[in-house]
Amino acid sequence: MRVSHHLTDETLQDYSVGSLSAPMETLVACHLTVCQHCRDRAVLADQIGGELFDKFEPVSLSQTSEQLIKQAALSSPIHAPKTEQSSTRTFKDVPKPLARFLSAELDELDWRRIAPGIKQVNLSEQHRSLGAFKLLHLAPGVVLSAHSHSDRELTYVVKGSYQDEIGRFKAGDIADLDGEVAHQPVVDTDEPCIALIASHSPVKYNGLFGKIMQPFVGI
Amino acid sequence: MNTPATTQPKQRTDAAAALRKRMGDNLVAIGERKDEVAFADIYSYYGGRVKSFLMGKGMNEEIAEELTQEIMITVWRRAESYDPAKAAASTWLFTIARNRRIDYLRGNSRIEVELDDEMLDLDNTESDSQEKFVDDEQAAVRLNKALEKLPHEQRQVMHLSYFRGQSHGAIAKWLDLPIGTVKSRIRLAMQAVRVSLQSDGGNLP
Repeated sequence: MRVSHHLTDETLQDYSVGSLSAPMETLVACHLTVCQHCRDRAVLADQIGGELFDKFEPVSLSQTSEQLIKQAALSSPIHAPKTEQSSTRTFKDVPKPLARFLSAELDELDWRRIAPGIKQVNLSEQHRSLGAFKLLHLAPGVVLSAHSHSDRELTYVVKGSYQDEIGRFKAGDIADLDGEVAHQPVVDTDEPCIALIASHSPVKYNGLFGKIMQPFVGI
Repeated sequence: MNTPATTQPKQRTDAAAALRKRMGDNLVAIGERKDEVAFADIYSYYGGRVKSFLMGKGMNEEIAEELTQEIMITVWRRAESYDPAKAAASTWLFTIARNRRIDYLRGNSRIEVELDDEMLDLDNTESDSQEKFVDDEQAAVRLNKALEKLPHEQRQVMHLSYFRGQSHGAIAKWLDLPIGTVKSRIRLAMQAVRVSLQSDGGNLP
């Protein structure tokens, strides 16, 4: 897997701070799974957090360190946040951060047809006005309506590829788009393209057709 | 930022290096032999900062105190997993506090990459990538200097983003700036830190 499209510094910094939504975090972690370049930059963002931590103004505490040590001896470990992730099943072509949201292999998922050549699996319960978190299955030759977002949109290519105004995106690549960018993805090979998408806000379609399609596609 | 104005940059960076060494040694001592004196030093330095971080991010004092105790107990219990060659003590503490805050808010753990994942793009991976982050005192000095060189407006958004507010959008509202300006300041700050680490003999991405 040869990665050529990366996360922006501001998204990696937001990830380091812990301000991203769970869907956005998933997309970032999927890309970090395959990209050492972005992992290194994410580590730097954590190091900056640590360094600024040292300059931080402390507030007073109600316990002493001896009391905490006693408390630690009395209680069992409070929580083990790693267990859920490490027990996740594995699926072909699926990075582990995404696998935790899936119940079956990619081609066995409950794909819903939403437009000619376009199928989706919704991964979020929330209303689409709050943004999207979904897998899209795009048939060869499919052209999505030109659209933009009022906030961030992340697209991680799980399988296949697409092309838009920005470039060609293949498996492992991430499109980290700011609100200003409008794009029109086209599936450019004989293979279907499976993409994971997260956005904070609904899309704004440019053309009339897109506006009519919006309630159905909702990406 | 809370450093006395009279302190010279040289002294400050020396102090950063000494602090990094002391706190790293403390974590190793806790990990190896449950050293209570080392824990007392870690707790008295970081406890109040962890709580301050949680409160700055909008938690009320009672919950911040409770989570701080949990976080510091986690430090006590898991110190043996701390590797001084991979991270500074401050970075380790920061990530534990951040993750615990997310767990609490979401009732679910932060989604992170598994470092041993076999899907890693090996063609794109430099063999010395781990060495780039070797934690020695010089790394602390370099990062400290790089951050001090940032223009005020960039340092301000970085500080607000790590220790106040919820998002870049919230910071934009707070400072009465367009969100694009906040994002570009963050981006410029990250780039400037990388450039100054590279030009300073470091070998970071």
